[in-house]
Amino acid sequence: MIPDTLTRSLAEICGPGGVIVDEDRLLVYESDALTAYRHRPGAVVLPRTTAEVQGAVTAIARHGLPIVPRGAGTGLSGGAVALDGAVVVGTARMNRILEIDAANRRAVLQPGVINAELSAAARPHGLYYAPDPSSQTACTIGGNVAENSGGPHCLKYGVTSRYVTGLTVVLPDGSVAKLGGRGREAPGYDLVGLFVGSEGCFGIATEIEVGLLPLPEGVRTLLGIFDRIEDAGRAVSDIVSAGLLPAAMEIIDGPTIRAVEDSVFAAGYPTDAEAALVIEFDGLEAGLDGETARAAEFCRRAGAREVRRARDEAERMALWKGRKKAFGAMGRIAPDLLVQDATVPRTTLPAILKGISEIGKRYDLVVANVFHAGDGNLHPNILFDRRDEDELERVERASKEIMQLCVDSGGTITGEHGVGLDKKHHMPLIYGAAELDAMWGVRRVFDPSGVMNPGKVLPEETAPGWPGHGEGRGAAEGEGAGVAEPAVAAMAPP
Amino acid sequence: MSGRRDTLARAIAEQEERLLNCVHCGFCLPACPTYRRLGDEADSPRGRLYLMQAVVEGRLDAGSDAFQTHIGRCLGCRACEPVCPSGVEYGNLLELARQVGGEARRSPLLARLILRVFGTDWLARPAMLAGRLLRATGFPAFAARALPGEHRPGRQRASHEDGNEPGPVARAAGAARLGLAMLAASAPARELFHKRPASHSAREVRPVPARGNGQTRRERLGPPRGGGQAPTVALLTGCVQAGLFSRVNEATARVLSANGYRVVTVAGQGCCGALHAHAGALEAARVMARRNVRAFEGAEADFVAMNASGCGAAMAEYGSLLAEDRTVGERARDLAGRVLDVSRLLADRGPVAGAPLPLRVTYDAPCHLLHAQGVADSPTRVLESVPGLEVVPLPGAAECCGGAGIYGLTHPRLGGWIGSDKVRSVLDTGADALVTGNPGCVMQIGAGLALAGSRIPVVHLVELVDESYRRAGFYAG
Repeated sequence: MIPDTLTRSLAEICGPGGVIVDEDRLLVYESDALTAYRHRPGAVVLPRTTAEVQGAVTAIARHGLPIVPRGAGTGLSGGAVALDGAVVVGTARMNRILEIDAANRRAVLQPGVINAELSAAARPHGLYYAPDPSSQTACTIGGNVAENSGGPHCLKYGVTSRYVTGLTVVLPDGSVAKLGGRGREAPGYDLVGLFVGSEGCFGIATEIEVGLLPLPEGVRTLLGIFDRIEDAGRAVSDIVSAGLLPAAMEIIDGPTIRAVEDSVFAAGYPTDAEAALVIEFDGLEAGLDGETARAAEFCRRAGAREVRRARDEAERMALWKGRKKAFGAMGRIAPDLLVQDATVPRTTLPAILKGISEIGKRYDLVVANVFHAGDGNLHPNILFDRRDEDELERVERASKEIMQLCVDSGGTITGEHGVGLDKKHHMPLIYGAAELDAMWGVRRVFDPSGVMNPGKVLPEETAPGWPGHGEGRGAAEGEGAGVAEPAVAAMAPP
Repeated sequence: MSGRRDTLARAIAEQEERLLNCVHCGFCLPACPTYRRLGDEADSPRGRLYLMQAVVEGRLDAGSDAFQTHIGRCLGCRACEPVCPSGVEYGNLLELARQVGGEARRSPLLARLILRVFGTDWLARPAMLAGRLLRATGFPAFAARALPGEHRPGRQRASHEDGNEPGPVARAAGAARLGLAMLAASAPARELFHKRPASHSAREVRPVPARGNGQTRRERLGPPRGGGQAPTVALLTGCVQAGLFSRVNEATARVLSANGYRVVTVAGQGCCGALHAHAGALEAARVMARRNVRAFEGAEADFVAMNASGCGAAMAEYGSLLAEDRTVGERARDLAGRVLDVSRLLADRGPVAGAPLPLRVTYDAPCHLLHAQGVADSPTRVLESVPGLEVVPLPGAAECCGGAGIYGLTHPRLGGWIGSDKVRSVLDTGADALVTGNPGCVMQIGAGLALAGSRIPVVHLVELVDESYRRAGFYAG
C-alpha cells in the first residue's frame, strides 16, 4: 500500500488508469519470468513519456519509497521484482519507435518497444537490430539495456552495449540526463557504457538510440545431431579453435529436444538424440559454403551421427524457433524451473557438461541444457515442482554446486540474464572487496539515496558501512584487505 | 461465504495441472490485443492465468473486482495459444474461469439476455426474423449514423485508454448504435458484385495456382470415409448464420457441390453453444452440444462444414466440452474430429476456378479460425484461386477485430478501440472489399467501417467464390 497522497499525484501525472494500487491487481506483478521470487509491489505506475516518468519518479522519491523499473517482465534473475513494497515503474505504454534513420543506420525508440518489432520495423530499410535474446518476441529494448542482453547471434555480433549509442535517462532524483547520442564518439567518460547493464539501479532509460546493421547477404544453417552432449561441446570448441567465426552456435540437449518437439515449435530435432548443435554462418555469399562445409566436417569428426543443412528459410526458421522457444517449452516437463546463466571458457565445455549431468543425477533432478555454446554461456534449467519442499531444497543445493563448478573452471556467474535478486549472493564468488567497493561507489554516483531497485545486484553485506563490512568474503581473499572504505554509507537497505 | 469460495476454487483446481504449464515466460504478452493497448499485465494472458492460479491457491476471491474485470476484459481471441511454448490451453481455462466468476458474481443483464435468446429456439427464431425485417427497412443503417457516438479513439489519451467503460446510459446508447450498425452490416453486399469498380476494369486475369502447394500439414485432409466416392459434407446452418446470413449458407452448399462434395442437410441441429461456452455458461453450452452430436451422427457425413469460424472452433472442441459425459462423450469426440472450415474443404480440392472477378480485396483472419483452429493458408489459397482477384495483405490481419462474440456490447469502449484500429488498417489497403470467414467479424468490421463513413463492404469468403462460379455459369440450367 502506498499513501493516498502519492496515489493522487501519480494519477495526476499518468492518468487514473496509469496507476494500479488494488492489492488483487498487483498480484500479477509479483514476479518476473523467474517465479522463484515473489514480492507484491506497493503500486504500479504506467507512464507514457519521459516527462511522465520524471514526474512519477520525483513523486515516489519524495515519499521515500523505492522504485523498480519493469519492461515486459521476461527477465530471469528477479531483477524486476519489487522488494519492500517498492513502486514499479512499467514501460509497457512507452512502446513507440520515434525514428528510423536508415541513412545513418540508427533508430531512436521508447524503452517499451519489443526487440523483434524493432527489427521488423527496420527490415523494409534493409536493416535489423543485432542482439537477439531468445525472448526477443516479447522482451523490451529497455529491459535489454538494463540487462545488457545477449542472444544466439551475439557470438559474432556482440551484446546490447555494442549497439546502444545514446540514452535519455531519468535519474533517481528526478533529473533528466542525456547520455551520448547521435553516433558513438561522445567525449569524456562513457556513461552510456556504464548505464547499459546497470539492471535498473542507476535510473530509467526513457529514450534509447541504437545502431542498426544491414541484413546479411547470405545465411547458412547447420544442424549437427549427437549421441553424447560432450561431443557437441567438443565440436564447438574445435570450430572456434580452427578460426571459423559462426554467427551463432547453440546446443540443445536431449531433455530439451524432447520438450520442444512436443510443442507447437517442433523443429524436427530427432527425439532420441542427446544433443542438437545449431550452427549458423552469415555475411557475404562468397565463402559461406566453404565455412559451412568445414564446420560440418568438425561436427562429424567430433562424433556427430548426422549433419543436416536447412534447405530453405522455412527450415531455418523452424530450427531457430525450436531453440528460441525452448525455455517456455520446459513447462511441459515440470511446472517450475530455475535457469542458470553461467559462462565458462569454451574449452572446458565437455567437462562441465558432464559435471552438470552428474550433479543432476546426484540430487535426483532433471537438468535440461540449452545454451549459447559458442560463447560458453550455459543455461542449465533445473526442473522442479515448487509444491514439493524436499525437491525445492535439492534444487537450491544443486544450483549452488553447478555455479561453484563453473566458477572453479574459470567461469563467471552470469552471461546475460543479469545478477538481479537471484545471483547477488554469488557476487563474492568472483569479486573481491576492491571490485565490489568500486561498484557500490559507481551506484552511489547515480543513486546517492539508494532508491533505485534496491536489494539487487550487490549483496547488502558488502556495502561500505554495513556492519561487518569486508569480513568473510570468499573468492578473492586478501584483495579486500587494506582498501580504504568510502565515507558515505547511504546504500544500506532499510 | 468461504464454503462458496472453496467450491469455486475446486472447479479451477481440477485444472491446476494445466495452469501449472505456464512458466511465466511472457511470450504471450505481445500477442494480446488488450495488453498491447492497456499495458497492464493483469490484462495479459500470463496475468489472467496468474489470477486464476491465485483463486486456486485461495489468495484471491473469484468475486473480486480484479478477477471479474480482467477475466471479463479478455476477448477470448486465443492469439496467445499459438505463441505459447508450453501449450497452455488458455481458451478452455478462460471458459472455466468465467464459469467460476459468473457463479461468484452475476454477469450483466444484457449479456444474460443475449445468451438466453440464442439458447432458446422459440426466442431466437422470432428475434432473427425481427432483425431481418428491421434490416430490410434500411432504418438500422440510418439510425446508427444518426445516433451520437463516443469520441473516436485517436492518439490523444482518452478515458478508454485506461480500459474503463462508460456508465449504464452511455453504454446502452453505445450498444444500440453498434447493434444497429452490425445489423445493417449483415446485409448482402449487392453493390460490390453489380458495379464493377472503374479503377480495376483493365486488370489482367491471373493464372490459377496448381493444387497441393502451400498447404500446411495440419490443413491437409485425409481420404473420405467411404473410400474413393465423393466425400459427404453436412453443414452446420447455425443461429446467426441461418437468421441473418442464409445467403452464405446457400453459397457454401453451392460452392462445395461445385467442388465435388455431396452436401447433405441435417435436421434437428441448433446453435453450437459457442457464445455460451465463451461466457462460461458451460452447462447451457453442453445442452446445445449434445443436441448437435445427436443430430449430426444420423447424417453419417465425412465432414461437417463450418462457415462460421466461431462455431467451428466450438464444435471442434465438443470432445473436451463433453469429456465427462458418459453417454455422448465419445460420439462428441468423433464429431469434433470431422469438423472442418469450408476454406479447408475448398482448398483441398484446388478449388475449381470460376469466372474472373476483377476486384481488389484484403483478408482478415478470424481469430477462431487462425488461432483456435490453426487454419492459416487455406483461405488465402481459396482467394488466390479466383481469377482476376487481387489480394492485398492486411497489416495486423492476425489481430482480433474486437467483435469477439458480444464483446462490442459488453465492452463498447475497448472493443471500439480495437475495432477502429482494424478499420483504419482496412481503409489503408485501398481494397474494394474486406473478406473474412465469420459472421461476428463481418458484422463488427462492417459496422466499424460504416460508422467511420466508409462504404467498403465486408463479405464472407464463399460469397466471392460463389459469385465467381455464378459468372462462370456453373449454376446455369
